[in-house]
Amino acid sequence: MQTEVAGMVERFKAEAGKAGALVYETSSAEDACNYILRLARERDVKSAVKSKSKLADEIKLRKHLESRGIDVKETDLREWMAQLVGRKPAERITMAQLGKLMSKATGEKLDSEPRALLNAASRAIRQYCIDADMGISEADLAIAETGTLVIAGNEGVTRLVAVLPRIHITLVNYRNVVELLEDVYVRLKSPKRDGSVKLVPGYVTYITGRNTTADIPGAVLARAQGPSEEHIVLVRRTSRRNVA
Amino acid sequence: MSRVMAKRVHKALADDNLQTALTRLFGLIKFVRQITFANLDFDALSQEIRRIKENSIANLPQLVEQFKSQAAKAGAVVYEAEDAEAACEYILKLAQEHQVKHIVKSKSMLGEEIELREHLESAGIGVTETDIGEWIVQLARERPAHLVGPAVHKTMEQVAELVSKATGQELGTEPQALLDATRRVLRRAYIEAEMGISGANIAIAETGTLTIVTNEGNGCMATTLPPIHVAVVGYEKIVPGWKDAAAIFRLLSRCTAGMKMPVYVSHITGPSRTDALSGKVLYGAGGPAEVHIVFVDNGRWQMRETEEFREALYCIKCGACLNVCPVFASVAGQTYGYIYHGGVGAILTAFLHDVDEAEEVASLCLGCMACKAACPARIDIPRMITRLRASLAEEKGLPWLNKMAYRGILKYPDRMRKLIKVGTYLQRPFVDKDLMIRRLPVPLNSLTKAISLPALASEPLLEKLTNFQLPVPSDKPRVALYAGCVASYLYPEVGEHVMKITDECGAKPYYPEGQACCGAPAYFAGDVETALGLAKTNIVALEVKKPDYIITVCPGCAAMLKKEYLNLTVAEPRWNQRARVLAERIRDFSQLVLELTPSTREKPLRNHKVTYHDPCHLKRGIGVVNEPRELLKREGFELVEMAEADACCGFGGHVVLSYPELSKSILNRKLDSIEATGVEMVVTNCLPCVLQLRGGFDKRRSHIKVMHSAELLADTFMMGR
Repeated sequence: MQTEVAGMVERFKAEAGKAGALVYETSSAEDACNYILRLARERDVKSAVKSKSKLADEIKLRKHLESRGIDVKETDLREWMAQLVGRKPAERITMAQLGKLMSKATGEKLDSEPRALLNAASRAIRQYCIDADMGISEADLAIAETGTLVIAGNEGVTRLVAVLPRIHITLVNYRNVVELLEDVYVRLKSPKRDGSVKLVPGYVTYITGRNTTADIPGAVLARAQGPSEEHIVLVRRTSRRNVA
Repeated sequence: MSRVMAKRVHKALADDNLQTALTRLFGLIKFVRQITFANLDFDALSQEIRRIKENSIANLPQLVEQFKSQAAKAGAVVYEAEDAEAACEYILKLAQEHQVKHIVKSKSMLGEEIELREHLESAGIGVTETDIGEWIVQLARERPAHLVGPAVHKTMEQVAELVSKATGQELGTEPQALLDATRRVLRRAYIEAEMGISGANIAIAETGTLTIVTNEGNGCMATTLPPIHVAVVGYEKIVPGWKDAAAIFRLLSRCTAGMKMPVYVSHITGPSRTDALSGKVLYGAGGPAEVHIVFVDNGRWQMRETEEFREALYCIKCGACLNVCPVFASVAGQTYGYIYHGGVGAILTAFLHDVDEAEEVASLCLGCMACKAACPARIDIPRMITRLRASLAEEKGLPWLNKMAYRGILKYPDRMRKLIKVGTYLQRPFVDKDLMIRRLPVPLNSLTKAISLPALASEPLLEKLTNFQLPVPSDKPRVALYAGCVASYLYPEVGEHVMKITDECGAKPYYPEGQACCGAPAYFAGDVETALGLAKTNIVALEVKKPDYIITVCPGCAAMLKKEYLNLTVAEPRWNQRARVLAERIRDFSQLVLELTPSTREKPLRNHKVTYHDPCHLKRGIGVVNEPRELLKREGFELVEMAEADACCGFGGHVVLSYPELSKSILNRKLDSIEATGVEMVVTNCLPCVLQLRGGFDKRRSHIKVMHSAELLADTFMMGR
């Protein structure tokens, strides 16, 4: 079993690499954070946007980057609200309080009406993605067969984080590596606790390697319309104690 | 063939920029194809896609219902449009209701088909194509030249000028600078647009999901950044489940661009949604608040009902057929006139656009079957082309010249023989000493433009074979020679060699009288009636003395006898049974020689290098690939493989007569790859190929010899045994 997983992970790395992604593998939380920080500094990254990521939480990535001068914006709505509030979970906060926080963050005058708040939040988050130098995602799954990252979400912003900034980093938990393209749906449609099958996530994006174009005559050029670099940080196991 | 098409072909061939670009593009495509198809079980993977598409189209009504209900559950709006106008009107109305001023659009063949962009633009709405190639084509106000590279026909200078004008900057011809400027313009367009329009490569019924594939990332942005997303989808894109989509991914990008996977695949199930704010689901959380899915019929359901053409709906629009099409490699897309190019394009054009234009597209087909072999859905494109021609001939009648040729001459072997006899006298002033015709007067002058022609033989094969005409009862296997027209009247010596070699193999060869043209020229031009008549004539003639084998020297005839006679006689069970017996006896020359003399012997050393050209109908028609090579090696020749040995020589179909210039361009690629091997002799097992290659090398004044296997082995076979 163990060797089977290892084989799959190796295949994923090889295929992703062949498709143009840069794969870094580590088993230390600190190392993962430092690698990303180093990358950000080398590429002159001032601001980053981040999708929801359990793994990033585990290795405390946002704090690591923020405390070293890189602005990191959460883009998942719940995560963003929690970032505004400064604690998790953000649900216990009242709509009125949220309205105030959001007004401050967006510079718009907002009341507590959910629709208006959502519109303002969408505009703000969208703008973060447009302005950011770096996007940080976590792959829900990684497909060994093709070296493909699978990034899911209902809000659609996960795709903006993955495509708009000039550098994209995807964290991959080695436990989420699957063998085949067919395995994706089996894992995505897992039944709810009440027995009903939950809806498939609204936006499921597959990314395989780095985007290129041959449409400008004369050359095959990297970075068509997406990021110029696709980085994958594959994390084997993490231990909280490692993080400074 | 029409003058318009001939003109377009000429224009494309005379366009040096286009030719340079195509050579480069196809070089690249072939290179990456080789890498990605290595170690891949293409047969198994394509069979799986075939099965999925067959099922999906068979169960389409149920799948449409399932898709609609699932998509509605996820919050998408589904609209079913009967035709192009209904689809365009729906989208225009939607745009106007939402006061949309700018739209970004990702590449969609269906969008091109229904002329959606034009429709919206004429109502005053700005539409920006976001695929970079498509955007360049939009700036040039043209239509895409190629599925993968829409702007492949544009030079760097032209692109630089277009992009400079669009961006208002003076940009040089540095590709990176052009790309950066383009990206900035498109970025702005996504951000400003109030609506994004896409197609869909796949629509998944079990979840109501749209699947959109791009390499540049434009599909992701065009469907996420604007507040409304509209997808136009052909019904044929529906498959039952996610696992079916997975099977399609495995070949889609490999076939399109030689990539294992597309860089980006977007699965979209309903609009962007969240319950983070009030616990209730709200749409429009960073992504679009509305997703509209417009299913378009526009002739698709009728296509589904038409048994003979239904499989064109299995097309996944990967472009594999175009990437291997010799005609496409010479003239690219715009020559075809309509948006659907190549072989399958003819069928799609007939149902989704216009039958007359489809006929034009079909007239370019060589019948080389490369498309069929490359198709990931195993669509029998050549068969559909033949059917299309037949139904057109039935509807509109054949052109008088063809009718006279097929029904007045081809059908009657005696008449044909007499006519050719007359020809042998008429040709005299034009035949050179070496029996080649290098120049013909108007109006036949176009025939000798591309190649030098062989003179008609003074004595046809029938008159030469008197010794072999009477089979004597014996234990030896009886081998009937089916000669075909080219051996009968142009190269009778090859027929003689075959008889001699077969005799030396220990068999009893004979030449059944009464055999006629195989009927292929009539059949592939749509004259089924004449072809059926000739099939019956030959079935009868080739039953005489019950041969154990029937040996052929032209794979075009062999494929006709072996495969098409079965199709032609399908309505007449007795004839069909006789055709089946005939089919089992058919052997190619090399195949039979190996079968009759299986024992290998010590190689006579010849120290002679040759290269081998795979005739289309031998390899892809009746599946003979190794035997001719094996026989050559066994007989002591050293085989040097050329690049793309199985690419058509350009003689196929009626292209050689209708578009000699095009035939020449395809021939030139073949001659080049033969020359590149450095050998002095090319061997093949097809006489029309011999005619074409010999004629081509003659025009080049080359010393490279072209031989049919039977000719090459005639003097040396059995030597040293």
